[in-house]
Amino acid sequence: MRLPTPVTSQAVEESDRFLVDLERFQGPLDLLLHLIRSQDVDIFDIPIADITGQFIAAIENVEERLTLERAGEFLEMAATLVRIKAQMLLPRRDDLLDDADPRSELVRRLIEYEVFREVAYTLADAEADRALHRGKGYVEPRTLPKSSELPLELTIEEFLEIALSLPAPLEKRPHRAPVLPVTVDEKIELWYKALKRKARVQFGKFIGRWKTRVHAVMSFLACLELAKRGRVVLRQDRPFSTLWVYPSEDDEDS
Amino acid sequence: MKTTRIVEAVLFASETPLTAAEIARASGDLSAKDVEQAIGELCHEYEAEDRSVQIYPLGDGYQILTRPEYAPYLERFDSITRTNKLSRAALETLAIVAYRQPVSRLEVEEVRGVSAAGVLRNLYERGLIEVVDRAEGLGRPLLYGTTKRFLDHFGLRAVDDLPKPENLEIALRTEG
Repeated sequence: MRLPTPVTSQAVEESDRFLVDLERFQGPLDLLLHLIRSQDVDIFDIPIADITGQFIAAIENVEERLTLERAGEFLEMAATLVRIKAQMLLPRRDDLLDDADPRSELVRRLIEYEVFREVAYTLADAEADRALHRGKGYVEPRTLPKSSELPLELTIEEFLEIALSLPAPLEKRPHRAPVLPVTVDEKIELWYKALKRKARVQFGKFIGRWKTRVHAVMSFLACLELAKRGRVVLRQDRPFSTLWVYPSEDDEDS
Repeated sequence: MKTTRIVEAVLFASETPLTAAEIARASGDLSAKDVEQAIGELCHEYEAEDRSVQIYPLGDGYQILTRPEYAPYLERFDSITRTNKLSRAALETLAIVAYRQPVSRLEVEEVRGVSAAGVLRNLYERGLIEVVDRAEGLGRPLLYGTTKRFLDHFGLRAVDDLPKPENLEIALRTEG
């Protein structure tokens, strides 16, 4: 086994100092700017070899946690840095004056990005300031209590009792085209008849008299219709207790 | 009826900023200029009487808003209209759109060095940017600009209220 040479370990230490949490950064330009600004490097004379090393060290350590798209963005910048680094090593011809420095395009992009990053901070301040001013409609209008907030005094025993008193599920029958055996109007007549004979009628008993679903539904609708017309009054002491149907007071004289 | 009181009534009843021209519609005798003047008087009055509200210019309109000192007392009612703070990605993207509008997705991506599709969609859904045009050329890409809601969200009168890049405190320093 070979022990690492002191040179290597020093190099690792060196790059360790610049390990950064990539999550904090908006992208490769943000990270690059951080490396440059935090070390007080002159942006117009970036030590490209150092910065490239730090940049690659930073993304190497978190590579597996990045999505492919995000990793691609950082890798593209790493490639750009390496290319610039290589170009810097080439001898430059002094007779070629135009864009002599291979870093100039990168510097332009960094400065441009930094401007917008700064504007973004200004916007964040403006947003926070604006949030301190509330307009009309800010305070929630008072809402009606929800029905579930009404006290429901029902014990589990009572609930079980009701569940057990329900008739067994009806037998399944082959499906037929629904020809209604009875109409709401007919049921209304039946309600009238029943209420003439008795002072009050137990809703559940009336509904359950015909053992089919259609009859139950029609009886129920007829009862609602009568209640809407004001011909009957529905009374129930508490939720789930027996529901009684009374003829309404003014109806008795007619 | 006094003009200031009419203007005050209209502003009071509105939940969104109103322009002077819109307020002037309250009465046939009112001009936008009268409204502007009345708003100026009302502002002085509220200031002098130390009211908890003031009339603020937002976009090209005005709205009565509570003063910032009272924000702590209103925070208890924060349940509904809490304005979600925008992410840094959203703020940077908005900054680029605001300064460069009309601007394409590609231009935004070039400046930030990252993909912008998701952020732009989000800002669009929040009504902070809108499609203002399509560029000439291949695919006729959509061009985005900021909206009135953008101005309202940041309490700005106009995009020009944003600081000029040359006034930003960026150290464009050279050595020394």
